[in-house]
Amino acid sequence: MIDLAIKLVLAVFVFFGVLNLAALHTWLERKQSAVIQDRIGANRASILGWRLMGLFHPLADSIKMFMKEDVVPAGVDRTLHLLAPFFSVFFALVGFAAIPFGDRFVIGDRVIDLQVAKIDVGLLYIFAMLSLGVYGVILAGFASRNNYALLGGLRATAQMISYEIALGIAIVGVVMIYGTMDLEELVRAQGKTLGGWIPLWGIVVQPVAFVVFLTAALAETKRVPFDLPEGESEIIGYFVEYSGMKFGMFFLADFLETIMVACLATTLFLGGWQVPYLMPDGFHFPWGATVPLAQWTYVLLGVASFSIKVVVFCWLFMQVRWTLPRFRYDQLMRLGWLGLFPISVVNVLVTASVLAFFGD
Amino acid sequence: MPILTIDGRQIDAPQGSTVIQAAERLGVFIPRYCYHPGLSIAGNCRICLVEVEKNPKLQIACNAPVTDGMVVHTKSANAEDGRRAVLEFLLANHPLDCPVCDQSGECDLQNFYMNFGLYDPRFREQKVKKKKAVAIGPHVMLDQERCILCSRCVRFTDEISKTGEFGIFNRGDRAELALYPGQRLDNPYSGNVVDICPVGALTDRDFRFKARVWYLSSAPTVCNRCAQGCNVDVHYVLDRPHLNEGARVLRLKPRYNADVNQWWMCDEGRYGFRWIDEGRLTKVRNRGVDSTWEQAVAAIAAELARLQQHKTGSRLAVIASSQLTNEELFLIREIFQGVLGAHVTASVPTPPGYEEDDFLIKADKTPNTLGATLLGLSGPGAPDATAIIDEALQGRIEALWVFGHDLATLIGEEKLQELSRTLRLLVFSGTNETSTASRSHWVLPTAAYVERDGTFVNCHGRIQRIGLAFPPVPDSREDWSLLLEIARQLDHPLAWRTPQEIFQGLAETVAPFAGLSYQTIGSQGALLGSTSIGFPPQEADRCDSQRGERERAVTGGGANGDPWGPRIKQ
Amino acid sequence: MAVKVVRRCELTLWEKLYVPLILGGLKITSAHFFRNLFLHSAHRLGLLKHLRASVTFQYPEESRPLAARFRSRHRLTVREDGTPRCVGCMLCETVCPAKCITIVAGEHPDPNVEKYPVRFDIDLGVCVYCGYCVEVCPEDAIRMDTGILDVSAYSRDEMKLDIHELMNPALRKPVGDCSLTFPHQCRLADGQMKGGW
Repeated sequence: MIDLAIKLVLAVFVFFGVLNLAALHTWLERKQSAVIQDRIGANRASILGWRLMGLFHPLADSIKMFMKEDVVPAGVDRTLHLLAPFFSVFFALVGFAAIPFGDRFVIGDRVIDLQVAKIDVGLLYIFAMLSLGVYGVILAGFASRNNYALLGGLRATAQMISYEIALGIAIVGVVMIYGTMDLEELVRAQGKTLGGWIPLWGIVVQPVAFVVFLTAALAETKRVPFDLPEGESEIIGYFVEYSGMKFGMFFLADFLETIMVACLATTLFLGGWQVPYLMPDGFHFPWGATVPLAQWTYVLLGVASFSIKVVVFCWLFMQVRWTLPRFRYDQLMRLGWLGLFPISVVNVLVTASVLAFFGD
Repeated sequence: MPILTIDGRQIDAPQGSTVIQAAERLGVFIPRYCYHPGLSIAGNCRICLVEVEKNPKLQIACNAPVTDGMVVHTKSANAEDGRRAVLEFLLANHPLDCPVCDQSGECDLQNFYMNFGLYDPRFREQKVKKKKAVAIGPHVMLDQERCILCSRCVRFTDEISKTGEFGIFNRGDRAELALYPGQRLDNPYSGNVVDICPVGALTDRDFRFKARVWYLSSAPTVCNRCAQGCNVDVHYVLDRPHLNEGARVLRLKPRYNADVNQWWMCDEGRYGFRWIDEGRLTKVRNRGVDSTWEQAVAAIAAELARLQQHKTGSRLAVIASSQLTNEELFLIREIFQGVLGAHVTASVPTPPGYEEDDFLIKADKTPNTLGATLLGLSGPGAPDATAIIDEALQGRIEALWVFGHDLATLIGEEKLQELSRTLRLLVFSGTNETSTASRSHWVLPTAAYVERDGTFVNCHGRIQRIGLAFPPVPDSREDWSLLLEIARQLDHPLAWRTPQEIFQGLAETVAPFAGLSYQTIGSQGALLGSTSIGFPPQEADRCDSQRGERERAVTGGGANGDPWGPRIKQ
Repeated sequence: MAVKVVRRCELTLWEKLYVPLILGGLKITSAHFFRNLFLHSAHRLGLLKHLRASVTFQYPEESRPLAARFRSRHRLTVREDGTPRCVGCMLCETVCPAKCITIVAGEHPDPNVEKYPVRFDIDLGVCVYCGYCVEVCPEDAIRMDTGILDVSAYSRDEMKLDIHELMNPALRKPVGDCSLTFPHQCRLADGQMKGGW
């Protein structure tokens, strides 16, 4: 019973944390682009004269989304049309259940994993959810009964499926090295150091996989420079026939997926909640110094570390978005199949060879 | 006759004429302020300097008699330098009033400065202050500062109006134009001094500040205020209704015609144009209720047809007007006298105006009395308007059509009321609201004389075209088009469509007009041949025709080229 | 015209790798990002105010500096006694390519002034802000230096400025009170003449 309550609390915590981060993402998107471009950015929404650097804009946005008329075109498949945005958001959200955002927390004899669902093949689970996200897209395109939406949906689906392969194979190297698909174990494995100095994070042992993963993940989540399926104002995408909050849900799903990818990248390549040289009992620096810490401090530091890394990834994705121009569709496909896919395969082969010849 | 060379071209000029006149005949323009072809030569402005070979000093062209073998240069550097120096002196004390000056835009100081001056001003001293904006008469405003003392106005009042109000007083830069003590510039020709003043010293009080001259469009026409038929230009503005409270006509200017009015016109004609824009009839009315042209023409024609069928044409009368053109009077004669057999007269007493003199002003205040007489609608053979009204009052006439005249001035309000009651049909077609209009059964708004084409015959037997300046006010029609419409409704359609075609018919029918057309009339008019009533073609009394020929080149009043042809809007 | 063949630039291997160039791009954007973030933060603390963190002008609160020759809403300059400097020469009305100026002139009691505008309207809904009226004015009576850019109204009629608003740029529609003392056609008086000498 208490276990269930704890799980519920964790789920609510993750749910709120992620949703708020997604909302914050819209603010981040506006402000970061403004600062990059020597502008100020949206700052007019105010409550009682308080503007808080435009932090109310996400709020205003969501109110706007809810208040807008929900236009459903004549002749659409109403069920699928309604279902598509929910699919998108749902599959984007459930993946977070398997993300470990902190080390286990021990109160008395009770061990609490800071992870909503401890799944020993968590990685597969998350990939499954990410893959299912494509249903939201294809359904939206199909149910809209609009040729352009359908084409947009097909375009998006093709892109997502193509990059999923590179994404998956890039991960294989990491899994091979750490020998587990349990994300918590995977993070724990990254707590070791190489020669006492360098943390044995995924990015250190699998740099090529990291680059491939990041690129493929951007394409998977349809972020710039791979945002052809959406193209916001320029290209007609799969959600052209959506308005109001249904449109908002696609938007939300988009940001959720970005955060998902950031979490995944953190977990796989930046040591998750690991802090360099921090052991459960405190810091053990390579030069011999130690700083003992209480257990709850250690756990909190882990959570903070994880959060910071996720935010940094979000920032990086945004920075990339406002730096690079959009790919053409043929360039996109060529990059996926002729660039990332072979590289990831070679990476797996090289990793396997190294592991086979040098062993542990 | 002496043969001289001006700017390399030879001309055979009459003995006693001057270089400026000879140059004019060659089409060489020499600037002038004091020289005016209609006035004596003063030679005091010095702007007309020309270089005469073998003459050490520059000569003034206006007072240099032509001599045989004379070689004149009007555009040599010497002449231009001299002219520029004179202009600099003239402008030394001239105020920079151009923004507020009504002459601006038609000012010879401005024009000649732009054409011959363009020097850098060197006058740094204080300009002499004199009186500004002095109303020296009912029509003329004097600004002494702007005067360049050319003395044209002085000579005009001495020689033309022979009233002698103006004089130049004091000396040097204190010299100023003024009236003699106790005088007022109120002679009947006072407006002409505004025309001849080359600068803005004498301006029109009536036109004062109403518009800028470059807003004005101009159309040639003939004054309709007396039988002299002075040639005038009507200056009007159609596209700036905020000016002059929406009135279109802003002023009349005399147009040169050697045989009629030369350069002049009287004040009665010059300022008598306000009725063109004020109190105009704008609606067809049937007993005080607004109606339409279709209804009016149908109803009137039906009544006329009824009278015709009953062979009671004598029970119909028409009081036409010698304010109508020959073409319209001819249509009235053809339709009403010819087809309907009505009593028609154009002989209506008019209220007196300016007293007749031996110059331009005539006692007869209508412009086409002779035309009506030649058509038999006026004069000895025609009935009198008062006689017709008397018959109507006695019930012997059922329908009366009045063209333009206000019968109230003729018979008084009460009799007019009685007339209106007695008649079955009283039609008034005219331009302005009058008591006759308000008493009539049908009121038909028609075009003013500047709004329609046609011809007048003046008291000297000269037929002149009045042209068309601008379209009639909304919902009013030209009398001739109304009459043609009536004829159509009476099943007696006439083949003519324009005043020009009507005039062709007139020239074929009425002997005195034989052989004439709008082309032969031109812009200067034409004398009628020997008339059936033996009217002697009278030579214009005070002009020599040679001077007229000369002046034609200056004013550009084209004998060639139709001045009423399509005009390009200014 | 001769045809000039321009060869498409082939990417070098370094460029084809993408990653280094992407990093180069990120360097540029990040440099802007961190510089501006630092300056924004410093401004919050009241420091380094002389360095701008953004090129934005916060428009209604902060107006952009206008160039000296900028043409904004018109005004009529006034004499010391408060009457318009305009003498009603109608040159601006004449030169106006949009025909948005309406002037009716009247007789000024001072013969040295002679003429003044009884009515002077500019229809801003028609005006093209060419500034010819200012160029042509011989009396320096009309200027376009009020700095007023935000001319807006709910009807075409309200876009018409009359002599009150032109002489006093601070006045805004609807003009509630006529304080002009010289005779003029006043819209407050239904186009009738108001004031006196």
